[in-house]
Amino acid sequence: MTDSEAPVLDLAGLSKTYGRRRGGVQAVRDVSLSVGRGEVYGFLGPNGAGKSTTIRMLIGLIAPTSGEARLFGEDLRTRPDVLRRVGSLVDGGNFYPFLSGRRNLEVLAKTQGRGAERIDELLDRVGLARDSKRKVKGYSTGMRQRLGVAAALLGDPDLVILDEPVNGLDVAGIQEMRDLIRGLAVDQGKTVFLSSHLLHEVQQACDRVAIISKGEIVRESSIADLLRQDDGLRIDAAPVEIAEAALASRWPVERDGDALVVRATRAEAPEVVRRLVGAGADLFRLSPEQRNLEEVFLSITREPGDA
Amino acid sequence: MLEALSAEALKMRTHKATWFLVWLFPIAFTIIMLISIAVGMAGAGKPEQHSVAQWIDSTTIIWSVPNNAVGRYLISAFVAVLFAGEYGWNTWKLIVPHRRRASLIAAKYALTILLFAFSFALTAALLIALNFADDALTGDTIPAGLSAASLWGAHSKAALSAAGPLLIAVGYASLAAILTRSTIAALVVAIAATSIESIVYSFGPPLALNFPSIVWPLYHLLPGHHIANLAEYIRTGHSLKRAFLDGRVVDLSWTTSLGILVAWAAALYAATFAAFARQDIN
Repeated sequence: MTDSEAPVLDLAGLSKTYGRRRGGVQAVRDVSLSVGRGEVYGFLGPNGAGKSTTIRMLIGLIAPTSGEARLFGEDLRTRPDVLRRVGSLVDGGNFYPFLSGRRNLEVLAKTQGRGAERIDELLDRVGLARDSKRKVKGYSTGMRQRLGVAAALLGDPDLVILDEPVNGLDVAGIQEMRDLIRGLAVDQGKTVFLSSHLLHEVQQACDRVAIISKGEIVRESSIADLLRQDDGLRIDAAPVEIAEAALASRWPVERDGDALVVRATRAEAPEVVRRLVGAGADLFRLSPEQRNLEEVFLSITREPGDA
Repeated sequence: MLEALSAEALKMRTHKATWFLVWLFPIAFTIIMLISIAVGMAGAGKPEQHSVAQWIDSTTIIWSVPNNAVGRYLISAFVAVLFAGEYGWNTWKLIVPHRRRASLIAAKYALTILLFAFSFALTAALLIALNFADDALTGDTIPAGLSAASLWGAHSKAALSAAGPLLIAVGYASLAAILTRSTIAALVVAIAATSIESIVYSFGPPLALNFPSIVWPLYHLLPGHHIANLAEYIRTGHSLKRAFLDGRVVDLSWTTSLGILVAWAAALYAATFAAFARQDIN
């Protein structure tokens, strides 16, 4: 497989256990996923699900206990130099507080073995040109985040890994970040792997997503498929208990106030109606119910018994 | 490697730790010398006559900093900031993905050694210049026989004697920094290691009377005596003989001392590289 054919990012059975094997804490368990060139890939999960641990394994900060991470077809363990093609933002941007924003990027450029030619352009692009000579310790969270994006793009990477890139940004900043992320993929052909808890942003920015919960990937698909899979029918029927009993034996049913949400497809709507009528329930309204990513995410990751 | 070194230099050149722990030496010694010159000029005493050895010794004093426990504490403090600071600032995450870990650690070692070597050399040059100025301004006579060759020879030997303790001090502090991931903890561990070494070297001979089975092997194992033995060889060409109160005498060849110091330095540096290579950065 040539470099251009290989997935940009390919994880196979990636696991991480902290502590001794017996009694250790398994933070990430058997994570496998693949990201193609030019994709914007969302990595979602509740706090403590293993997102950050997975991302740290991708950029060589944490050694996996088992499994394999391949970047551009190269095994990260044997070819760590492949990380030269990767730009990353983790923990909202970590910088030397006693240096200016510009000087931080200069240090990073030297560490990467590159010149400082792109620094001014990038500072301008993330809106920090005027504050570039101020020490980072005086930056707001949002400014650090934007400097982190500039740092991630400094080496003109082919793969950009962003861990919670919109944390600390205001509404306008979030909009700019979303445009920037889409622009990286659409205009520059870069691949973006991003984790975020702002699901609306992920829904708008990403092509595909993986949802991780308790260290395991529980769903992976395109946004469209994920939402389609979770389509349903909203039913207004009475008595609601009889209607629920009539449908629950066939489809997953959730109560939403006085209404019922049935995980049935549009094609199954006639059968839903027949069952309701057969059970003696009065049907007042039946309409398609499309959940957004946040609702899908919550339904997948919610603990049994959660409200 | 040069790029990583250049990045380290760019990062640390304006840091307070560099001013207070590295450039401290030329600044402090210059101030002390200027005060001494001012006092000499204000005094009405007759001009002093120094021997060549006295004159040169007053300029090589800077090289004794790494041989001195307090000097080693200052070196340890800088190393603790340089290595453990990355954990405190959370900046390993910024640089580790972009360069091999061994290269990042090697760059920190290179910067430390170069900075202290430059600082001590600059201080030595200033001390020589200020000593000449002192003689000229206070009317002291420059001793006959003082030459560039004698100065160079004395400073080369003093610098060579400083190399061992400098490397050991850097080794203690860097390993402690990587293992503890804390500047304060690294400094405390490095100070403790340096102090134990100094105590065993200074008080080993009398303590051997009460704890011979512990003190004798410790005295031979720790770097203290070997640093002093090598310095003695470099200075006089003879070994350092130390009589213990239980009657035994420590008299080791320079090759033995050099071998033990090299083993210490190799172990400390290798352990630092290995610990960092395997470390998860969360």
